[in-house]
Amino acid sequence: MLSNIIQISLGAILINNFIFSQFLGCCPFLGCSNKVDTAAGMGLAVVFVMGLASAICWVINEYILVALHLEFLQTLAFILVIAALVQFVEMFLKKMVPSLYSALGIFLPLITTNCAVLGVVLLNVQNNYNFIESLVYGITGGIGFLLAIVLFASVRERVEFAEYPECFRGFSICLVSAALVALAFMGFSGMAIPV
Amino acid sequence: MNKILKLALVLLAVSAIVAGVLGVINELTYPVIDAQKQAKTAEAFASVLKADRFDEIEFDNPDFPTVLTVHKAEGAGYVVTSKFSGAQGNITLAVGVDNDYKCTGISVIEHSETSGLGANAASTGEVGVNFRKQFVGQDENIALANAGGSIDALTGATITSRAITEAVATSIKAVKTLG
Amino acid sequence: MNRKKQFTEGLITNNPVLVQQIGMCATMAITTTLFNGVGMGLSVLIILTCCNVVISAIRKIIPGEIRLAIFVVVIAGFVTIVDLLLQAFVPALSEALGVFIPLIVVNCIIIGRAEAFCQKMPVKDSFFDGIFQGLGYTCVLIVMCVVREFLGSGRFGGGLIDISNGFRFTLDGTGAGIQIFPESYGASILSLPFGGFLTLGFLIAAMQYALKKAEDKKAKKAAKEKEAEK
Repeated sequence: MLSNIIQISLGAILINNFIFSQFLGCCPFLGCSNKVDTAAGMGLAVVFVMGLASAICWVINEYILVALHLEFLQTLAFILVIAALVQFVEMFLKKMVPSLYSALGIFLPLITTNCAVLGVVLLNVQNNYNFIESLVYGITGGIGFLLAIVLFASVRERVEFAEYPECFRGFSICLVSAALVALAFMGFSGMAIPV
Repeated sequence: MNKILKLALVLLAVSAIVAGVLGVINELTYPVIDAQKQAKTAEAFASVLKADRFDEIEFDNPDFPTVLTVHKAEGAGYVVTSKFSGAQGNITLAVGVDNDYKCTGISVIEHSETSGLGANAASTGEVGVNFRKQFVGQDENIALANAGGSIDALTGATITSRAITEAVATSIKAVKTLG
Repeated sequence: MNRKKQFTEGLITNNPVLVQQIGMCATMAITTTLFNGVGMGLSVLIILTCCNVVISAIRKIIPGEIRLAIFVVVIAGFVTIVDLLLQAFVPALSEALGVFIPLIVVNCIIIGRAEAFCQKMPVKDSFFDGIFQGLGYTCVLIVMCVVREFLGSGRFGGGLIDISNGFRFTLDGTGAGIQIFPESYGASILSLPFGGFLTLGFLIAAMQYALKKAEDKKAKKAAKEKEAEK
């Protein structure tokens, strides 16, 4: 059990990083990585929502969709749950933890359309994870996203001062630098935890 | 309050309509999808072990959590299906084992490996066929070439290759416990 | 509305991936063989067109406050329909694209077009917008696939074309493609995630270069005309 959880965590954070090897969540990854602190804010918000969404969607899938043989409604149900969840988290933070809200608030609406969140929920189902595994996969997947976006934001801050051809300006140079970071992440791909 | 109620009702109505339509489509496609899955499993069985019929036998051994089913083919051997994690998601694999506990062939039933890399393990192209051919005749001590065995891993897909190799070994061991 | 203008917008000047820079996850993830690219592109095209038409048709009766929620429900509905149909009739594609089919729900192209275009425009325009934007997306996917497949494994048309028994299209994804140079000479790293980021980066750069060139040309022409007038 424990080795299983370590394997899932390591896989989600390093080996099969959501961004650099599964391409889930690229839009916010490229959109919010201008500065290290915005990147960290976005990353933290994603960890939070991915963990919560994994847990709630697992319960809904197991006790409502699978129990009633409504598996074909998974995509629809999950996206609605995520949208509602994000809305609730936003309202809750605004009322109860205003300091956290002011830090994460602006990122929350963006998370609904972050494919990493829907992705992790769908992968949980596809991989037949149980409740604990789903929760761990959600949180560690989010941590992987956080790690990727913070690392990449610091790379981008350097790229700002680099000289490159005019036509590469904007997203283009970002993608090329992201490619190089992805190359570095490939170094983890040989790792595996003996079961 | 009234307004919120109205909005909720509109959303509920739209969701209900969409869910209804999906229900109908699901009713229509489900038998096709199901038949396809069964045909695929049957095809996988036939490709790993030559036999006229396969009878499922009971297999419930806590030492082999990855094994899904074991089918006995009279006189020819066994087919073991197992589900284990590959590089991206779970892989479902059928392994044929003969009466001398040698692998007679493998076939990937379901997987979600990277297209063009790990997915080659299941491809009908030359790369996939050659990869799977290596397993024929191997025993439970099977291992990848970099671990001292004789199986060459797929390019760029060591994890997938290792997972499959281990699953083949596990399947053979599982058959051995049947005696 | 001018169809020709809509067409160039979808394919070039307002291309969803290269210019609006949305919907990139799938663009980088699944473009390893032509089969995947064409399949994904057509799926998005169909879903986008259907969603555009439906959303445009109901645009007057949906309350503004919850329009996004309703868009999402409609989109998720069409995505699930396409997902089920693919599973039933093109299982090879559904297997190859995996989780990226249901993830079309959160592909910003669809919700973006709904928000920016369909909620203001009549059904007919929205229909063509869906087709042209979808085509623009498909073209980018195809270019990505062709580049990555050719440089990565020396092949063209993997999964979609089979030449072992004369030229034919394989719709079940079994074709081996046309081998242009031996696979072992290819830079197989281009089929890995690294290649996805790199190829798209260069593609966007090429697009920006081309658009800039066209703009310069126009500006020069205008300046010349001005001079001639003098």
